[in-house]
Amino acid sequence: MGFGLALAAVLAIVAVVFVARPFLREPAPASDRLDELAPEARQRLALAEERDRALDALKELEFDHRTGKVSDDDYRAQVGPLRRRAAEALRALEAGEHSPRER
Amino acid sequence: MASLGRAALLIAFGLVAYALLAGSYAAWRKRRRLAHSAQNALLAAFPATLVASAILLIALARHDFTFAYVAEHTSRNLPLPYTLSAFWGGQEGSLLLWLVILTGYAALAVWLNRRHRELMAWTVPVFGLIAVFFGFMLCFVSSPFHQQPAPADGAGMVPSLQNPYMLAHPPMLYLGYVGLAVPFAFAMGALLSGRTDERWIVATRRWTLAAWLFLGVGQLLGSHWAYVEIGWGGYYAWDPVENAAFMPWLVATAFLHSVMIQEKRGMLKVWNMVLVALAFNLSLFGTFLTRSGIINSVHSFSQSPIGAWFMGFLVLMIVFSVVLILWRSSGGGDGSLRTKTKLESLVSREATFLYNNLLLVALALTILWGVLYPVLSEAVRGQTRSVSKPYYDFFLHTFGLPLILLMGLGPLVAWRKASLRSLAKTFLIPFAVAVVTGGVLLGLGFGSSWVGLLAYTFSAFVAASIVLEFVRGRSAAGGIFKLVSRNRRRYGGYVVHAAVVLFVIGVAGSNSYQTIRENGHLRIGQSMEAAGYRFTYESIKGVKGPNYTGFRTVVSVVGNGERFDLTPGQNNDPLQGTSFVASIYHDPRTLGDVFTNASLDKAGTAIDLHIFVKPLINLIWAGGFLFVFGALVAMWPDAVEQRRLAARYAAGTAPAGI
Amino acid sequence: MGASPARLVIALSVAAALAIFVVYTALAGNGVAQLTPSTIGTAKGNVLLVGKVVGPVQHVGGSLRFAVKDIGDAKPARVSVSYAGSVPSLFRTGRDISVAGVMRNGRFAATRDSLITKCPDHYAPPASPKT
Repeated sequence: MGFGLALAAVLAIVAVVFVARPFLREPAPASDRLDELAPEARQRLALAEERDRALDALKELEFDHRTGKVSDDDYRAQVGPLRRRAAEALRALEAGEHSPRER
Repeated sequence: MASLGRAALLIAFGLVAYALLAGSYAAWRKRRRLAHSAQNALLAAFPATLVASAILLIALARHDFTFAYVAEHTSRNLPLPYTLSAFWGGQEGSLLLWLVILTGYAALAVWLNRRHRELMAWTVPVFGLIAVFFGFMLCFVSSPFHQQPAPADGAGMVPSLQNPYMLAHPPMLYLGYVGLAVPFAFAMGALLSGRTDERWIVATRRWTLAAWLFLGVGQLLGSHWAYVEIGWGGYYAWDPVENAAFMPWLVATAFLHSVMIQEKRGMLKVWNMVLVALAFNLSLFGTFLTRSGIINSVHSFSQSPIGAWFMGFLVLMIVFSVVLILWRSSGGGDGSLRTKTKLESLVSREATFLYNNLLLVALALTILWGVLYPVLSEAVRGQTRSVSKPYYDFFLHTFGLPLILLMGLGPLVAWRKASLRSLAKTFLIPFAVAVVTGGVLLGLGFGSSWVGLLAYTFSAFVAASIVLEFVRGRSAAGGIFKLVSRNRRRYGGYVVHAAVVLFVIGVAGSNSYQTIRENGHLRIGQSMEAAGYRFTYESIKGVKGPNYTGFRTVVSVVGNGERFDLTPGQNNDPLQGTSFVASIYHDPRTLGDVFTNASLDKAGTAIDLHIFVKPLINLIWAGGFLFVFGALVAMWPDAVEQRRLAARYAAGTAPAGI
Repeated sequence: MGASPARLVIALSVAAALAIFVVYTALAGNGVAQLTPSTIGTAKGNVLLVGKVVGPVQHVGGSLRFAVKDIGDAKPARVSVSYAGSVPSLFRTGRDISVAGVMRNGRFAATRDSLITKCPDHYAPPASPKT
């Protein structure tokens, strides 16, 4: 019974220390601000997702074409717009990276 | 010991309450160290809850009847595995199981994502919110650590629960129910932080698959248990308790599909939020539905002291989800869930996924209506009414049959837009296979059940389209193994579809084409016929067990090129009454079962034999195994993809501030 | 081709699903009343009787005869049930059941195969432990 309570006390102390750890390790930090995505970073992320989507769609179109699910005509009709979309996404992403402060 | 358990639970409660409060404040005010501290609190809650669980397990193993819980649910002569399974046999223990799984999942999720501070900032308090409810219940309302003067022996466990299914079925279901909390927490966290990108989906994809897998396996285990133990030859009775697990599983299935649309096309962000919230809330609802006996009315909840608490929490979570989704979807804050991408064509994979969603959610909602109907009708009219099998069967057929068809159509259609001509080409073979199959079956007399015939025909269509996918893909990728390992999600998904096809064939065969002969009155030496078999009552002998007496008959069966014996009988327990002991023969010819029950007539000179011949029923269980395999393939980590995703999100998380 | 036809089709499909539901419930009726032995009285038509099995259970011919009382409250009402059909193996005295049928001449004539026995409630208040 005493052992149980002692163990409980130990548990409680360990828990409190663990929870307080961030404050104990950095009692006076340079910045306590939680990193968050700036609007440009969010924009970049959206563009990156768009780029990945376009590239993924291209890859899938190629695969579907090779396996015969998409006919030659359909392939020709779709590959152009998809390639353009991917190129646009890549360009937009690069533009964002090179001039993050120009808006 | 019990005081240590109580203390551990109090500590856990304190930790998750801190995670909720401090975490919310930190996320709102963007305080890094406080957020980190809240994260640590959530991590620490797991070992604390684990300590409490260990204490309960030890108390059970030691038959420590000073624990009221141990005394209520076990007895000295209960074998160890069942004694331990009493952990989740009672209300307090199952709450503890929920909490330990929840804190375990939360700790793992937090640990895996620990560097993504912004993503976790709001996710941690949502986990905390859910855990606080269970922690509160365990500490202050329904504690497993109540003590009492130890009686000489415990009350024991109901005999029907003393079987291996009780060891596996509830934990599996809980791993599934609680697993749905993870995508929910991330989704609500994303809404709270205004992040409208896919980060939360990417982070929780495998969690959702795992929870869905556990929920599916848990249900299959439950069905199998019902089939072999409960004795009416059925495996699903549309009981509220069964529906409780089925509904979130259906919605999770819809979610798994529509998430793919968001990833490929960036559409349906709001809908995905709705689905994940619906799945989680249904899972909460389901956990507690299981607690009542017959759902007669709202009174059944209040019989259990936690009923009202639970209702309150469920309402809170529903309101929480709805408010958040409405707020963000209307453009509140700086994140908008509205997208510009539109559905380009009705002949596209997106469209088939949308229909799949519509049908799955419609089915889930009609089942929900059926489950709630007694409660609603009493509240509105003062008279409890209920719906039963015909209601559920109607909607299962109406929504389910087109769903089967969609499983075959989806893979054949390309994303965005498919021309009707290329569609016709890819359709041709599966369509032909289906038509031929349907025709042959019709000729063989399967038209006796048009639902069964359609189910078989559609299954043939789907099976053909899946096979074609593998064949076509293999030649393109250079080998099956390469094909699957490069496209794990897609081909794992096809394997799961194949499993569902097996399942559908099994269900259709054992329901639409079963033969039932009941109350065949037989004296020794007499026979009856069913489905081409001849059943002859040969002999009977008495049996005696530790706490029962009874009889077993010997029924010899000849027919369809086979001979075998069945031994149906009954057990008579002076305390518990009479129960049937079914005898089942697994027929390799039809992959089905011959299922028999027998009862003695009053004079004891003849038996009443009940025979169920269920073709193809074993495909259900076979489908279950294939389902696990397919889900594992789909879940299997893909190093290439992980790297790509890590790069995408690392690049995007450049620190704020110029 | 474009947003509007797709949205329209989706809206129509949702409406269709809803319509199927409404039509079905209108045609199939509003389910069946759930009654307990104390409330069944002389109820007419098909109902669902819910209660606890009271012994003894007799086998008469090919059917079962047993009595049912209210679950929970100690009400004196008893209903005699005559049932034929599949009997779940959990069925025995003391179990909670639901069975469909009609009241006829003071007895409950059950519909074939409609007997459902509930799994014993794990979460019921504990019986007093054996001493």
